[in-house]
Amino acid sequence: MTAGGQERRLAILGRLLGQEAGFTTERLCQVCADVTGATGAGIMLMAGDIPRGSVCTTDTVSDVIEQLQYDLGEGPCVDAYNQDRPVFEPDLANPATPRWLAFTGPAVDAGARAVFGFPLQVGAVRLGALNLYNDRAGPLTGDQQTDALVMADVAAQAILLLQAEAPPEAVAVELETNANFQYVVHQATGMVAAQLEVTVSQALIRLRGHAFGNNRSLTDVARDVVERRLRFDGDSEKAQAS
Amino acid sequence: MTRESLLARTLVELADTLVDDFDVVDILTLLADRCVEVLEVEAAGIMLAGPDGQLRVMASSSEAMRVLEVFEIQAQEGPCLDAHRTGQAIVNQDLDSTNGRWPRFAAEALAAGFRSAHAVPMRLRGSVIGALNLFRTGTGEMGPADIEVAQALADVATIAVLQHRAALEAQVVNQQLTHALNSRVTLEQAKGMVAERLDLDMQQSFATLRNHARHHNLRLSDVAQSVIDGSLAPSELEALPGAAKG
Repeated sequence: MTAGGQERRLAILGRLLGQEAGFTTERLCQVCADVTGATGAGIMLMAGDIPRGSVCTTDTVSDVIEQLQYDLGEGPCVDAYNQDRPVFEPDLANPATPRWLAFTGPAVDAGARAVFGFPLQVGAVRLGALNLYNDRAGPLTGDQQTDALVMADVAAQAILLLQAEAPPEAVAVELETNANFQYVVHQATGMVAAQLEVTVSQALIRLRGHAFGNNRSLTDVARDVVERRLRFDGDSEKAQAS
Repeated sequence: MTRESLLARTLVELADTLVDDFDVVDILTLLADRCVEVLEVEAAGIMLAGPDGQLRVMASSSEAMRVLEVFEIQAQEGPCLDAHRTGQAIVNQDLDSTNGRWPRFAAEALAAGFRSAHAVPMRLRGSVIGALNLFRTGTGEMGPADIEVAQALADVATIAVLQHRAALEAQVVNQQLTHALNSRVTLEQAKGMVAERLDLDMQQSFATLRNHARHHNLRLSDVAQSVIDGSLAPSELEALPGAAKG
């Protein structure tokens, strides 16, 4: 690592940590991108091997990257978390080994050319993954990898610090501020469960199936359900009336 | 093996064990065993202060009852307690002449066959979390180099303990976060169910659920769970004034 790079990183970390009053997850994501020199960054929480939502993203492309992984359950963050190691795809449009068959096309269309995932963990505790993307293909340098690992560590500690202050049974307000925990999907799940008189697990499968079959994102389908433009019980008359 | 290479091997061993899921008692026991080899003492033990401030034996190079008792008695008096209280190393205490300072401890230690006792504090910045305790059956003095090595090993033990505590804390916070996210998912699903059944928007649906929880002195998360598992039908929830208009 160059001395200049090290100094720069320390300066950025100092700025991030020194402004406790102004500390936001939005800043955290931006610092992750700045320090590593990536085009954009996002932080995804995972639990029980599935994405739980996004804590923050720096731009619309990283938004799409996180959303796709939430919808599809595949991508660099999901792999980094499940495999407990960094995941590198330096050339997403022409990967050496094709993977993430559903994720790759839309991510490239959105503007991502290289994507990287780093597990967020403190000791044995796994929280999720840091996602970095570049708008041009190419691997991360050794320095960038080191910086990304440091930022994943900082992000994991920051999330736990924020959550440690939260009242019982609540997600810390600071964690929710820039987050997208996909509440609309869960609301739609409840509505579909009521429409079809099935369990919420079955309802979520129906929602996912509809999204996949119609080549739409899960969130878009969920929003249509919540805004009563789409019903699952064939009662189209009622849907049109709303 | 020279003392330097023994020490180096010990530190490498400890660094290797300080990984994700380490057992803190294992590490402290390893450290106590290495103290015996590296410092040429007959027994070594590590005492940590509990939440109540009382010192407890966490690890010992010997499981002999007599030796353990010598450690245990220091919850009341002895070099460990003093090192923990003052944060200073207490070394080369000739047990024949410490009767006045620690009468019960000195008697126990002499009966166990020891002649001298030493204790170095386990400290990090301002706080002292416990002490490393060493015993010799001979009267030879520990020199400044020995004491330095003892303090270095105590510092490693301190790091192991603090890292373990931080990991436990992280685990608790992460479980709370997962639980909070799960409760929130259940609540959003219940909002969707109630909105669909009672023809409300999400805000009205939330207000209806919250109102029910308040009137029946229930937790909102429990009400949401009852709606999801079907034990509470949305039609049983009290309508709010004006809610039906949505």
